Amino acid sequence: MALAMVTIGETRTITELRVKEEMKKHLQDLGFNVGERVRVVGENPSGLILLLNGARIALNRGLATKISVA
Amino acid sequence: MSYTVALAGNPNCGKTTLFNELTGSKQHVGNWPGVTVDKKEGAYKKNKEINVLDLPGTYSLSPYSAEEIIARDYIVKEKPDAVINIVDGASIERNLYLTVQVLETGIPTVIAMNMMDEVESRGDSIDCEKLSKIFGVPVVPIVARVGKGLEELMKVTGQVAAEKQKPNEIRIYEQNIEEAVEEIMDFLTEGSKDDRRWTAVKLLEGDEIILESLQPEQAKMVQEIVEKLDSQCQGDAEAAIADQRYRYIVQTVGEAVKKAHKGHAETGSSKLDKIMTNRVLALPIFALVMYLLFAATFSENFLFIPGLPSPGVWLAGIVETAWGALTGLVEGGLTAIGASDWALGLALSCMDGVGAVVGFLPLVLVLFLLLSFLEDSGYMARVAFVMDRIFRHFGLSGRSFIPLLMGFGCSVPALMASRTLENDKDRKITMMITPFMSCGAKLPIYMMFAVTMFADGNKTTIVFGIYMIGLLVAVLSAFLLGKIIKGNGVSNFIMELPSYRVPTLKSVLIHAWEKVKGFAVKAGTIIFGSTVLIWLLSNFNFGGMCDMEDSFLASIGNAIKVIFIPLGFADWRASVGIVTGWIAKENIVATFGQLFGGVSDEVVEAVSAGEQALPAITSVFTPAAAWAYMAFNLLCMPCFAAVGAIKREMGSWKWTLRTIGYQMVTAYVVAFIIYHLFGLFY
Ligand SMILES: Nc1nc2c(ncn2[C@@H]2O[C@H](COP(=O)(O)OP(=O)(O)OP(=O)(O)O)[C@@H](O)[C@H]2O)c(=O)[nH]1
Ligand SMILES: [Mg+2]
Repeated sequence: MALAMVTIGETRTITELRVKEEMKKHLQDLGFNVGERVRVVGENPSGLILLLNGARIALNRGLATKISVA
Repeated sequence: MSYTVALAGNPNCGKTTLFNELTGSKQHVGNWPGVTVDKKEGAYKKNKEINVLDLPGTYSLSPYSAEEIIARDYIVKEKPDAVINIVDGASIERNLYLTVQVLETGIPTVIAMNMMDEVESRGDSIDCEKLSKIFGVPVVPIVARVGKGLEELMKVTGQVAAEKQKPNEIRIYEQNIEEAVEEIMDFLTEGSKDDRRWTAVKLLEGDEIILESLQPEQAKMVQEIVEKLDSQCQGDAEAAIADQRYRYIVQTVGEAVKKAHKGHAETGSSKLDKIMTNRVLALPIFALVMYLLFAATFSENFLFIPGLPSPGVWLAGIVETAWGALTGLVEGGLTAIGASDWALGLALSCMDGVGAVVGFLPLVLVLFLLLSFLEDSGYMARVAFVMDRIFRHFGLSGRSFIPLLMGFGCSVPALMASRTLENDKDRKITMMITPFMSCGAKLPIYMMFAVTMFADGNKTTIVFGIYMIGLLVAVLSAFLLGKIIKGNGVSNFIMELPSYRVPTLKSVLIHAWEKVKGFAVKAGTIIFGSTVLIWLLSNFNFGGMCDMEDSFLASIGNAIKVIFIPLGFADWRASVGIVTGWIAKENIVATFGQLFGGVSDEVVEAVSAGEQALPAITSVFTPAAAWAYMAFNLLCMPCFAAVGAIKREMGSWKWTLRTIGYQMVTAYVVAFIIYHLFGLFY
């Protein structure tokens, strides 16, 4: 399912990045790798706040729908 | 022997903080990713042989936005004698991703494990010796913010640079990737073995910049190898490389780092974020912060308490009184030594001109202090995120928020900050509207009109009103320009949210001092020079000294003023003000001070008694014309320093001229509308 659908407080595993090449690279540099655990810690109309590798990362909802998690 | 040492690391890991500590510089430090957008050089205080270079932050050696290219190019092309790789110990896994790539380049490296204070307060511990053994480079724990560990760091850095001590070769990729790397290395001709290996890895990662630099036949071979590897790695060699790097890092961190909390810990920052980015509270909080920022700067009824001056207004009153006394002393002194009339006239005119500006310095200073407090706190990244959704409505991403907010201080750094926007169209639009965020130097113009023309009304509301006009025009412009300028739609928003930090007193004081110093230099050079020029031009014509109305300046102003007839301020002095404003916006009040006579003493009284400061202005401006004049100066071409920044950042004259043209036309149209619309009410 899409990362955008995960409820606050849940931890999921990234399964796929369905974005353009350039963005994919950037996401990987930030630690979004397949198999990585990510936790949704916040949400507002702009998008989500995630915890990933000990860093807090905010991203917009559009991008969060393109990241698949399980 | 002298060495160049480059500071490399993730955005916001403390590079500039370290740079400032090492070199005694006062470069901009802020608590959000992407503060530094250019390289800066300085000599190490305690050993001038070592040249330190601050670089923009980057998450990897595959650049994503413009400032990251600067960092990568410096490291891999110009090759410093050593790299100090600063690692934010508080998010060590993510930071080591860059470290691994830096080590791959084979450049002599030292790892500075920063933010050890935060690591310790979390109860975590990092075994630097163990990391050092694994990577084959020294790892030194530091706390850049308080200067802890820096002597040791520089001692080992000196050794590493002198001995050209290379890191361990870390072989972390699986067989098939290693084979592909070797294959590519075989036909790369340029560079050392390290260079070729690094280049090969980057090519497998799909690096476009490097691919384009190859010969066509080489590029073709590379593509074949990449395709082959892709098919071996479930279609994505790049992801496999990233994955294997992370696996190596996780393993390393497992060996060397002890964490107090397993998994994702709830920190103070997370709790604060629940409030600051809350779907209901976020915007009211932001509005409150903005109110406090501006009200503390220029409100006469601070916190809505009638008659309570804000810190800025209170300080301004004191400075103006002092300047008035100084002017009196100069006058007395010059008269006592029997100075000629013209010398006395020049001196007093300059005192009036510069004084008009100096009197407003406290306001600007308070504004800058509060802005720097905001920048250091970590709140900026949160607002950028919260604003993302709103900005999207008119075609920008939340990232634009940071340059725009900085624009309330000074347009020049704000324009440079737009470099972090990776989308070209976003960046252009942001730069075109940044000057509509009224900069600190424009604030005195509004204050001058407010105390003079609208003394009976609510002066604070007038100034707020002008800021609002700027915001409104910026929003409409973004919308309009978004439709006109070609390019991709709004890019996605993704930004790391740093830990909230309480700014240190030291950093706030440094900011304040830098501001005062910079201002004193400006007042002593550009503004003083302009006032002398204005005095000359306004007191002479071809026949020698003359009445102001017959001077060169009057002739020039009279020639220009016809343009402004439709805007309601067809006066030669007002026209001259606009022109001197392009040299520096502070000049406008200085010019008014000189041409409308004796601003400083009267402003003092005005501030304390709420009277008119430059009575002569009222004979030239109607209230509606004053609004139009303020709006015109807010929106028209910014000062030359900002135009220079636009030229550098746009990288073309065509876009620079377009930007200025757009701003001029907007200023004219908006001032026209305001003059005629407000004329109906006043
Ligand atoms: N607690 C703590 N904070 C630090 C330390 N070093 C730097 N900081 C803070 O970290 C933030 C970022 O510092 P900068 O020096 O601007 O970081 P940078 O790496 O230059 O950032 P960019 O220019 O954006 O890449 C600031 O708020 C600093 O005050 C440290 O050792 N401990
Ligand atoms: Mg920096």
